[in-house]
Amino acid sequence: MAKDRNGKMEHVHIIRKDPALFLALVIIWLSFAIFILYPLLKLLATTFLVKGSFSLDNLTKILRKTYNQKAFCNSILLAAAVSAAGTLIGYLFALAVTRTNWPKYFKWLLSSITILPLISPPFTSSISLTLTLGPNGILLKALHLDDLNFYGFWGTFLSETLTYFPVAFMVLSAILSTMDANIDDAALSLEGSRGRIFRTITLPLSMPGIANSILLLFGSSLADFATPLILGGHNFPILPTQAYLQITGLYDLKGGSSLSFLLILPALLVFLFQRYLVGKKSYVTITGKSGAQSQFSRLPFWLETLTAVICSFIALFIVYLYFIILQGSLVKVWSVDNTFTLEHFSYVFTNGKKAILDTLKIAIISTLIGSFLAIIIGYIIQRKKFAGKRALEFISMLNYALPGTVVGIAYILAFNEKPILLTGTMTILVAAYVFRYYATGIRSVVASLQQIDPSIEEASASLGAGSVRTLFKVTIPLIIPSVLAGMRYLFIHCMTAISATIFLVSVRWTLLTTRILESMTELQFSQASAFSIVLIVLVFIADAIMGGMMKLSTKKFGIAQENIYDNSGA
Amino acid sequence: MTTAALELINVTKTFHKEREKVTAVDSVNLIVNQGEMVVFLGPSGCGKTTTLRMIAGFELPSSGKILIEGSDMTNVPVNKRGIGFVFQNYALFPHMNVYNNVAYGLRSRNERESTIKVKVKNALDLVGLTNEEGRFPNQLSGGEQQRVALARVLVMEPKLLLMDEPLSNLDAKLRIYMRTELRRIQKKLGITCLYVTHDQSEALTMADRIMVMNKGHVEQIGTPFDIYAQPSSLFVADFIGQANILEVIVESIEGNFALVSIPDGWHYTARIIDPSRIRSGSKASLIVRPENIRVRKRQIERIDDIACEPKTENIQAIVNSTVFMGGHIEYQLDLGSRGKLLAFEPFRPGSDIYQEGDNVCAIIDKDMALLLPGN
Repeated sequence: MAKDRNGKMEHVHIIRKDPALFLALVIIWLSFAIFILYPLLKLLATTFLVKGSFSLDNLTKILRKTYNQKAFCNSILLAAAVSAAGTLIGYLFALAVTRTNWPKYFKWLLSSITILPLISPPFTSSISLTLTLGPNGILLKALHLDDLNFYGFWGTFLSETLTYFPVAFMVLSAILSTMDANIDDAALSLEGSRGRIFRTITLPLSMPGIANSILLLFGSSLADFATPLILGGHNFPILPTQAYLQITGLYDLKGGSSLSFLLILPALLVFLFQRYLVGKKSYVTITGKSGAQSQFSRLPFWLETLTAVICSFIALFIVYLYFIILQGSLVKVWSVDNTFTLEHFSYVFTNGKKAILDTLKIAIISTLIGSFLAIIIGYIIQRKKFAGKRALEFISMLNYALPGTVVGIAYILAFNEKPILLTGTMTILVAAYVFRYYATGIRSVVASLQQIDPSIEEASASLGAGSVRTLFKVTIPLIIPSVLAGMRYLFIHCMTAISATIFLVSVRWTLLTTRILESMTELQFSQASAFSIVLIVLVFIADAIMGGMMKLSTKKFGIAQENIYDNSGA
Repeated sequence: MTTAALELINVTKTFHKEREKVTAVDSVNLIVNQGEMVVFLGPSGCGKTTTLRMIAGFELPSSGKILIEGSDMTNVPVNKRGIGFVFQNYALFPHMNVYNNVAYGLRSRNERESTIKVKVKNALDLVGLTNEEGRFPNQLSGGEQQRVALARVLVMEPKLLLMDEPLSNLDAKLRIYMRTELRRIQKKLGITCLYVTHDQSEALTMADRIMVMNKGHVEQIGTPFDIYAQPSSLFVADFIGQANILEVIVESIEGNFALVSIPDGWHYTARIIDPSRIRSGSKASLIVRPENIRVRKRQIERIDDIACEPKTENIQAIVNSTVFMGGHIEYQLDLGSRGKLLAFEPFRPGSDIYQEGDNVCAIIDKDMALLLPGN
């Protein structure tokens, strides 16, 4: 039917027609101008303006140093290696969960273990790898490999791969489980072998997911700051750490912003390409009308064996790493004096109490503000018509697309002086988190609205409800589960992120993650471990609460949601 | 004179699709009387749903006016128009039970809960859903969901009841039951109703009047009988019911009748609805419903013999296929170079049934064929 909703004349008189939308747009654009565009422009200005006129001097000065050239190449090399290895491991885990007939509890165990790195602070694997493979590392001692230098490419690569492969796992298991098992049946009935089915059906159909995963991991690794800071060492400089050192070590703002500019280009390129790939993919809507239930074909024997070996090994290794951190937090001096002590924990709860409270306070406030913004922005992007929608959507994602280091540097450049002096306040930390991590919230609100037939809202309007009543009585109750999913992600990131906020903390406001970093740089490994354990436990508790709320809400609307999906197919 | 329940004046909707201007609805004029049921009928993409959505206020017309009970509603928002809309997918609120779904609109009006309770009960009684208040939409069958959607709208006592293909998601048997049910309720309440469908049998059985649309234009507005018996265009003739369209030459015109012929000497006197559009000596299209064609055995078994029987009204044909439909037999007749003819012969036990390859005569009942201008 001619259900066109892009008529032009609706654009006119937005103030009169939909004053609520107008007000929302004004507030959103204003906040974007202050917290996204202004810092970025400030960063570009610092990089390209020399004495008031455009110049490439800062950039060429930075690029002339071989150390920086090396950092650029290393960044790309590391990102490529991590994205390839992480995607491969993620794919094996996804195959294990979706394409084998292993026992259910084993699959559950595998997917639960992959969640650990996702919700842990970015240092977790770095710290435990240091304790294991670093100087005095227990594994080195056990294997008599005392002279192995683990710092540099290999350490960073190993740690980042372990940290980011779960992202690949999530993307790929989603795509593997939504494939139609009847296709496998068809291939089997055409006398295809298990190996042939994997080669000719499963793998080709996974390609969009594999490409998506590679890009996501490339971007994550490119932007990662915490891991290379701890494990990179002097011989393996990369851009984010270089930019950080340029600013905190040398107080060279121009150099730091020039280095971050170098990082912006590949990061944006990867982001845009990834969005393009995802955008091209057609939406698989759940219609509820499926053919006969069928089982996916099993993997060829050699691949199943390989998957079993690698997945078990990695899962065990991850559990081992967490165990090491726990152990590390409970001994006097790691590897030197292994007597049991709780002194690190008592330090955390006395000296580190402020950091704990600050972190929680900031995370809660950011989550509330971020979720509210995500609902409003997601709603107007999906449901409303107005000029400049594309631009709004793109800019809303900008801080998320850019590496945290870049955002952090842009924020100190922008808010360190009048007219908007925010350095040292909580506002700057909250703003950094909100505008960086609400992006997932927006996406999940948009995705969930896409699933809800607009006729449900039209029904509300035709029954005499105004747009605000419709939003609160009909739309929001229906998208609550995905709003909570966005909140969960936002909260975890506010608790664990460091790359942007490392530049923004102050004496007045400090965070657990920065305390961990301080302990690490002071070589107080046990203290760092104790801080990490506390942070991990806090995140787990928060995650469990959020997860419980999500379960409750989907329980209430779960069947109801299915119902929407059913009908929207009509 | 009473005011019309609804008046559409030159209502037009254009939109831009990849820089191309598309006219979805082109100058629709319509007056709907109080208590009338008007069905918008047409193939998908003809603009019927867009027209309905403009009446509801979901879309704004590019030009033209919409009057509801005499007042201009063209730019009034949906929630202020006093209309009730039943959606193709029902659009029930999945997070509310039946009671809250039906009460939703009354609560928007801030009515008292005690009043709401009574009204909701009455509405549910009316649609035959007594004692189902506590169930959620997903616990209801398609037909029950449909009734809730209807009750939710009726409880508001709307000035206009708008329905967008409300039965298309039901199975065939329920669909037929629900259309009489809908019609019963509509007549009982005396509510003015506009109903969109692409199903002609729905339109013919339910409508007081049908508005046939094609490519954004109104082709014809009339009672089901008019539309079926006197289609004003080839499109209407072809879209409503089944129709044979024969290319003929107009020999002469006399009042509302014309003598037409096809090259082998066959003649027929056809009715003309609009004589101004037919000219003597020109080509025209003869519309014949299959049930108005009799099939008889031919006396002489030669296809090229002109005198099938010595009447010029008889067309000689060969049976192409015979399909027994129970109440009637469907014959596909081959007219050689002049095309094909579909004929329905009522079936009575003992009557002749012709088989594929049989030579037959097709006789068009007197006054039962209609002449329209050619393509």
